[in-house]
This record gives sequence, structure tokens and C-alpha cells, in this order.
Amino acid sequence: MNRKVIEAGRDVLDLPSDALELKLGPSHPATHGTVRILLQLDGERIRKAEVEVGYLHRGFEKECESGQYYQVFPYTDRLNYVSPMINNVGYALACEKLFDLKTPERCQFLRVIASEASRIADHLTCLGACSLELGAFTAFLYAVEARESAWDILDAMCGARVTTNYVRIGGLSHDTDPSFPELARHKLADVARLQKDFEDLLLGNPIFRERMEGTGMLPAPELIALGVTGPVLRAAGVPYDLRRLAPYLVYDRLDFDVPVGGAGDNMDRFLVRTEEIRQSARMIEQCLARLPGGPVDIDDPLIRLPGKGKVFGRMEELIGQFKVVTEGPKPPPGEVYFAVEGGTGELGFYLVSDGTGKPVKCRARSPSFSNTQALSRMVEGSLLADVIPTFDMINMIGGECDR
Amino acid sequence: MAARVTQVDREAVRRSTGALGVAATLRGLRVTSRHFIRNLWGWMVGKPQVRTVMVPEEEDPKPAAFRGMPVLVALDSGKERCVACGLCEWACPVDCIHIEPGETVDEVERYPRVFDIDMGRCMYCGLCEEACPEEAIVMSARVDISAFSRAGLLWHKDQLLTPASQLARRLAYIREDYGRR
Amino acid sequence: MVGESQTAGQGDEAAAQHPLLRALAGRFGARVLGTHAWRGDVSAVIEAGALLEVARFLRDGGEAGFDMLLDVTAVDYLGRAPRFEVVYHLVATTSGARIRLKVPLDGAEPALPSLVSVWPGANWLERETFDMYGIRFEAHPDLRRIYLYDEFEGHPLRKDYPKQKRQPLIGPGSRAESGSTR
Ligand code: SF4
Ligand code: SF4
Repeated sequence: MNRKVIEAGRDVLDLPSDALELKLGPSHPATHGTVRILLQLDGERIRKAEVEVGYLHRGFEKECESGQYYQVFPYTDRLNYVSPMINNVGYALACEKLFDLKTPERCQFLRVIASEASRIADHLTCLGACSLELGAFTAFLYAVEARESAWDILDAMCGARVTTNYVRIGGLSHDTDPSFPELARHKLADVARLQKDFEDLLLGNPIFRERMEGTGMLPAPELIALGVTGPVLRAAGVPYDLRRLAPYLVYDRLDFDVPVGGAGDNMDRFLVRTEEIRQSARMIEQCLARLPGGPVDIDDPLIRLPGKGKVFGRMEELIGQFKVVTEGPKPPPGEVYFAVEGGTGELGFYLVSDGTGKPVKCRARSPSFSNTQALSRMVEGSLLADVIPTFDMINMIGGECDR
Repeated sequence: MAARVTQVDREAVRRSTGALGVAATLRGLRVTSRHFIRNLWGWMVGKPQVRTVMVPEEEDPKPAAFRGMPVLVALDSGKERCVACGLCEWACPVDCIHIEPGETVDEVERYPRVFDIDMGRCMYCGLCEEACPEEAIVMSARVDISAFSRAGLLWHKDQLLTPASQLARRLAYIREDYGRR
Repeated sequence: MVGESQTAGQGDEAAAQHPLLRALAGRFGARVLGTHAWRGDVSAVIEAGALLEVARFLRDGGEAGFDMLLDVTAVDYLGRAPRFEVVYHLVATTSGARIRLKVPLDGAEPALPSLVSVWPGANWLERETFDMYGIRFEAHPDLRRIYLYDEFEGHPLRKDYPKQKRQPLIGPGSRAESGSTR
């Protein structure tokens, strides 16, 4: 509605001054196809941002409530699909807390290896995607090539890169073979080499720095009040890492650093993640060096399926097999919450049992959901272009956010 | 043995930029040229350094643990090992297996008259393989399920039956693994 | 005390020993309907009317300082009275201390005060609980569905919502709009 008005004797173009509404997503390449951000723009400045999620909602909890406890594992793969092993482990640990089980040493070490390899893949995806969306395509290729190596470690463990379905209540679906430590070390060396190239190429770059430094900041108390966890919170200087604060599995026996930032801008978030990749590799190496022998599963035919060899020959085990598959392992009635440090923050599982083989409630506390909520607060008042790096550094994973 | 809290090093990043970003640009050029030469040389001497695999002309190497689509193991006689106990049907989280048992005069007494897997729903999770007490359903290395219609994704028993010789690697893998328990 | 919750009765002795639960029970008296500690998780069942006060006390009062609200969800115990239980998980980011709050609610028109004024992070979590269970959070700044679309009928995580139920398609291209009989 432009019209010419006569002002002080001159023709002046009267430009509309109400806010421009811009809908970013849901199919915008930088939103990874699953979220819509409604922006109200005043020129390049964001007056108001509203985030709409739910494009990937598929009823995770409803599905879980209709199956046995062991049937939930494939669904947890699809929560945070860039670090599926951590979800597997988190759910298994919640179940084990409910059943009051303790898994063998070897199983715990393998679970840590799986979690940390997943974390490497998660962070590399996040960093790679961020560089891509800021225009650094080559850096992205190095990151996904490194991620491929991290996935090779998972691949060797469970036979899948993304849909892992590896962890079981009281054990793992498979043991690894003797050549595994060798392969894992080799792949970690690949990751380290490519990560160095990735950082050399990107970090010092003035354009990259200008887009990352001083953008997307929010003070730590506000992040905490909003429920933000993970690298985003650590970048603001809060050392909230469950591996340090409430160590599960064998994390209390490993040596590692928890990197924290100061300013809490996107650059800090990026650097926290690059350092966490190195620390994860360090943890995997320690686990490989100390990987004990022995079984990976607990010896309880009413919870963990007995070995096939036994099922073929013995009636008792065969009956156990039938019972475990059809009725599922039965926990005592009660409720537990267990959280692990996921790729994007605290990933918790809240289980309510009434003593039958099916959960009454199986809730995933997803870090992406709470973190994405903080996005609008982070970008309001900043420039439109800052939405992209901020959104990338929040690392919203649709599968986990929308469940 | 413990976790230490450390501070990330922003100063190093700042320094690495150099005056006007020249140092950063040169370093970037060095990295990309090294990759370029390495890949080019690998390609010239026939040892490519890139991870691209020309599927389907080339075979994509798969680990022993690889889970492709579930198939039925056929005995030498061409019959299935399956005894239609229905455990895989129970275990499948997405209910994509459909079995109708029949009776036979063989020593096993039961066989699946109908055994369908809806490949449009199957997620290759492997829970059916784990549940089966007879090693009759195993995860093959096959992943080629494309079809022209939804009905084409419903695989029937005759399509699923695979000679044990073709599944030797998987059978050996699960036997070794389950033997450990 | 017992009977309010699925798990009441378990670990009640342990709960009686827990300093935080003791402090809560001492301060809010009968408005704390029950406490229990099981498998290392401590929880307190409280009245809806006391929720805001308890939340403020847990955040500001006492030494624990539960500064983060991790999760809000509900459980539907269909066939039991009270039918719903809204569950909050809190954590103190410095010490890692945790507590679970549970608020039993009647089935007819479940409603309770919103915690957005205490932890702004409750905003989306309460919207999700409203979306999935139809529980109203009073004084919530923006209580509408978050995952599902506004035209969706019912609340899918209620136990009486059938898992396979279909809802009509909406929007452009849907049958209702285009009038096609595909
Ligand atoms: S692989 Fe999983 S989804 Fe597929 S048929 Fe077996 S149990 Fe079902
Ligand atoms: S579990 Fe094995 S034997 Fe039983 S029906 Fe399935 S494939 Fe056949």
C-alpha cells in the first residue's frame, strides 16, 4: 500500500511500517524440514519469533504403551536419530532401574563405547550442518566423512548405522568380536584427522567467526529456567553434565574433561562440541584399553532371552523363551525416572509400571524439546541471519523434539 | 579418575584468524588442496580415497552384524524350518508378520501355511530373529524391497524362503553370538 | 497417605527419613498428600491448590534450590479415582539433586495452576500435556495444542483413546475440502 504523499512540498514515498511476517520453514533447508519459525521482522531485526513444532510427531508414547518393554527399543532409535545408541542405553538403564538389575562389566563398557561413538556422530552432524548452512560446503563434507567413521564403529557393533536397536534390558543384542578394538581405534584416528581439517578450514575464518560470535546469547540463569541442557547450557558456563554430576555405567572410572564456555554465544556452543568430540574419543580409547572379558548379558532367562544353543536343547529354556517373548519381562509395580547425557542434553525416561509386561507410561524427556523452546528468546531482537546459526547450535532433532 | 571442568579456548580461535584473515584463508586453502591432491592421486593409482561406493554396480561392504530384511531359512528339501510357533509374530513391534499355521504329517507336525511379511512396515529391527527358537527367520543382507505397488511390498512365503547356503554368513554369526550366552 | 498413588506404600520408611521430604511435609502439612522414595527417586504427592507454593518453596527456599523444571507430563490411570496424575520432575543444576512432584486430578475437568510464572520452561511442556491429556493449566499464557492441529478431536494419550483411531484429514487436498471421493 504505497502511496505518494505530499510532505513539506515534496513527493515522498510512504512505505508501510508494520512488521513483515516471515514464515521460515517447515521446508526450509536450514530447518532440516521439521520446524516452522514465524518471524515478525522490522527490517532485518526480529521483533518476535514463534516456533512451531510437531511436524514429526508420531505418537512415541502411545506406541510404547501398547507393547512390551523390550519392544520399545526400535522406537527409541528414532528419537534422536543421529545418536540412537544413547537413546537405547538411556531406555535400557531406566528399565534396569525399574527391574533393579546390574549388568556385567563388559556390557557397561560396551554401552559407554556405543554412547560416546554416537555422541561423536551427533556433534559432527550438528557442526557439519551448521557449517553447511553458513555456506561452508567443504567443511560439511569433512564432517560427514568423519561421521561416517563414527558410524562404522556402531555398524561393527550392531549392524546398523542409524536404526541400531542394540541395547537390551539386561544386556546387548550382540557381543563384539575380538577385532573390534582394532577397528574402533582405526576409525577414531580417521575422525581425529578429519576433525582437525574441519577445524583448520572453518574456525579461524573471519566470516564464520562474525556469524557465530556474539549471536544467540542468553544468560545462564535464564537458560536454566527454560530447561535448557546439554552443550548449549555448558557453553554458558554451567557444568551440568550427567556423566560428571550423576555418573552412570562406568563414567566414574574414566578420565575426561567437561568443556564449558563463558559468553554462551554460538561460538562457545560450537567450541564446546568440538572439544566434546575429542573427549568422547578419549573415553572410547580408555574403554577399549580396559574392556574386560566375560558375558554381556545377565543370566536370567525370565528377563533376557537365553542363548539359542540352550533353547534348542532344553525344555526349560524353551519355555523361558516363550514366556519372555509373549508376556515380556515383568517389573515390580512402581515408577522410575532415569536420565543420561544425550547428544543435545538430558535425555530422561520416566516409566510407570503396574506389574504387567506393558508400561503404563513410557515418557521420554527430550532435550531438543526444551532447548527449542528457548530459541525464540535467543533470537528476538537480533538480526534475521542470526536465526540460522542459533537454530543450528540448538541442534533441534525433529524425531526427539516431536516424538 | 574423574571428570574435570575445563574452559574452551576462544583466544586460540581469535589468534588463528591472523591479520585480515589471511592466515585463516591460507590454512583453508592448504587443507582443501591436500584433500584434492590426495583424492586425485588415489583415483589415478586406482586406490580411491573417497568413500563413495557405486551401488548397485559395486557391492557395498557390510559388517557381519548387518541386518537386512528378514527372510525364512529353507532346508535342503526346499521346505521351511519354521514350525509356525508364532513367536516372531508376537515379538514384532509393528505387527508386520502374518502367519497361518497348518498341519503336516512330518515330524515337526506344524508348518506355516501362510507366512507374510509386510516389508512396507518392517523396520529391520531383528526382534523376530531373536525371538525365533528354531533359527527359521534370520536377517539377510538383502535390502532391495522396491515394488510398484503397496501389494508388492507384502512378501509371501515363497518369496521369503531362502536356501540356508545363501544365509551361511548370518547363520554362522548368530550361532557364534548366541553360543556365547 | 497411602492409596493416593500407584506406588504409595513402597519405600515409605525411606521417605520418612529423607530430609527434603520431611521438610516439605513439615511445611505444608496435610496439603502434602504423601511422600515416597523408591529406587533412589524421591517423590511427593501434593494437592493442586498447593502446587504454586510448593514449587516456589522448592526453587527459592531450602538449600537444594531446584532451579530447573525438567519435565511435565501426566499419567492416566483409567478406572481409578482420581484418574489423572500430573508429574513434574525437578533438578538442582548445581548439586544434581532431584525430586518428583505429583498432583492427582479428577477425571471430569482436570485443571491445575500453571507453573510458567515459576519456571518459564513449563510453557511448552504444559502445552504438550494439555494437547495429549486435555489437562488445563490455569493462567497459562498460551494454552493451545503444540503437536497436533487445532481441529484434532480428543486427547490421544488418554487411555480411552483407541490407538488405531483415524481423524479426518484437514487442509488443502483433503477429501472434505476438494469434495473428491477418491
Ligand atoms: S525385523 Fe522387526 S519389524 Fe521386521 S518383521 Fe522382524 S520384528 Fe518385525
Ligand atoms: S518364531 Fe521362528 S519358528 Fe516360530 S513362527 Fe516365527 S519363524 Fe516360525
